[in-house]
Amino acid sequence: MISTINSEWIKLRTVRMNLVLFIIAVAFPVIVSVLVASLGKIEDLRASDVVGVVTGSSVVTALLLGVVGAVSISAEFAYGTIRPTFAATPRRTRVLLAKAVVIAVFAAVAEALVVVFCFLVSSGIASSRGATVSLDGEPEARAALIGIVIFAVIVSLLGFGIGMIIRNTPAAVAVLILWPLVVENIIFLILNAAGVDHPQKFLPYISGFGLGDPNKATSDSLSRVNGGLYFAGVTLTVALIGALITSRRDA
Amino acid sequence: MISVVDLSKRFGRTTAVDHLSFDVMPGIVTGFLGPNGSGKSTTMRCMLELDRPDTGGASFGGRAYHQLSSPLHEVGALLDAGYVHPGRSGRNHLRWLAASNRLPRARVDEVLELVGLTSVGSRRVKTYSLGMRQRLGLAGVLLGDPQIVVLDEPANGLDPEGIRWIRDVLVHLASQGRTVLVSSHLLSEMAQMANDLVVIGQGRLIEQCSVAEFVERHADRWVRVKSPAVDALVHAATSQGAEASMVDATTAELRGITTVEVGELAARNGIVLHELSPQTGSLEDAFLQATASAQEFAARPVVSP
Repeated sequence: MISTINSEWIKLRTVRMNLVLFIIAVAFPVIVSVLVASLGKIEDLRASDVVGVVTGSSVVTALLLGVVGAVSISAEFAYGTIRPTFAATPRRTRVLLAKAVVIAVFAAVAEALVVVFCFLVSSGIASSRGATVSLDGEPEARAALIGIVIFAVIVSLLGFGIGMIIRNTPAAVAVLILWPLVVENIIFLILNAAGVDHPQKFLPYISGFGLGDPNKATSDSLSRVNGGLYFAGVTLTVALIGALITSRRDA
Repeated sequence: MISVVDLSKRFGRTTAVDHLSFDVMPGIVTGFLGPNGSGKSTTMRCMLELDRPDTGGASFGGRAYHQLSSPLHEVGALLDAGYVHPGRSGRNHLRWLAASNRLPRARVDEVLELVGLTSVGSRRVKTYSLGMRQRLGLAGVLLGDPQIVVLDEPANGLDPEGIRWIRDVLVHLASQGRTVLVSSHLLSEMAQMANDLVVIGQGRLIEQCSVAEFVERHADRWVRVKSPAVDALVHAATSQGAEASMVDATTAELRGITTVEVGELAARNGIVLHELSPQTGSLEDAFLQATASAQEFAARPVVSP
């Protein structure tokens, strides 16, 4: 298993596109956080506000890490490298598990770096402008910073799952990126038509994003932990379907 | 040794491979020959368990592919030299392959050297020529120093020099006692590389024999004669059951008769000969003849009596 993980890690870091995605993923929230901390009103720069900007802008990081997850498998089908991969490691579940581990760890490390860096930089800038940004006595803000990292891991695995099912890079990426806009709305309409109370509570991506929300959950949404578990469950289902298809179908 | 036993694979209603069985022996190069679309690649994918066969399967030294603990050490396979990520360097392509089977990193540089790609190992594969990609593919095959080598159309798109290089490598591998199976749709190519042939058409085994036997059995043979009195000679030959066709006013081709018989016929009838030579059709003709009969058989329309 270690050798398969090592092999998949080499694959991930030896493709230039992943490096480009990583740079964009890191740069975007850094730029936004710096701009808000530099230009925002001092009274809008409390800890929860800064955390909100950091987690809100690093959603882009999470989505791009999801793209890395999707492409890590769809590109294998596009270029045919899935065949030498399965020929070298005939146990397909081992390959898929190794990919999932590599993607999840990569996403966790990348998102944690982004969150820590953005928070330190923007709180530093805000402090120099006279605002006091401290996480002391702000359990929700602290939980949100950790939560957004978990959210990024789940999104990267959602991308991987979608990639296993769809196999086509542009289509898989489109489904992932449009998920929050399109898929969630479709689920909303179905739940609403079915007469479910508070249907917005049961939108997986929105619920999952609650992980990184510095404000406490309202009656309209699931709690941070429940929302995260729900989104993780939906992602696990997608990934398991993808793994089942990939291990059964001709490579 | 490789054994393929009762292998069948259907795609929807199309039967790509139809109860195919054959053995591949160590120490020689075995050519896997068939026209395009005859099921060679599908057979190879099924052998490596990339496609799931509907019946039967393959074994390598008695074990199914998934039972090999470290496949690259035992079976080196090149299905398509295009199965590489264009954005990855050749060296990095070999590195992930090597890592998956715990092969040392130094081995990557060894095989790059072996196939002559050391100087371009750091370049991205998209900058490689077709020949360089085939060499990279072969480097991947050699990575684990396997006893069994399976190659699908390795000479495809190569220039004569490249084909000769591949041939030399395969002959060398076989001379070391390895089992080598290599596919092609060109008999002339196979005749240069292989000792034994497994010939398939429409997914079925047509013949398994040596290259020489195959040519012997299927090649077209005739006698070419040139004579100022060719008409008289043709008349004498056809009256003995030969078939004749005129090439020009003094030259004819005779089938169903040997050069000895034609010579004796000429002597008996006092006919002057300017040329008397045995002719053999090309390898490609032999191959087309052998596989055409399979296709003809399959495509023959059902006519009610």
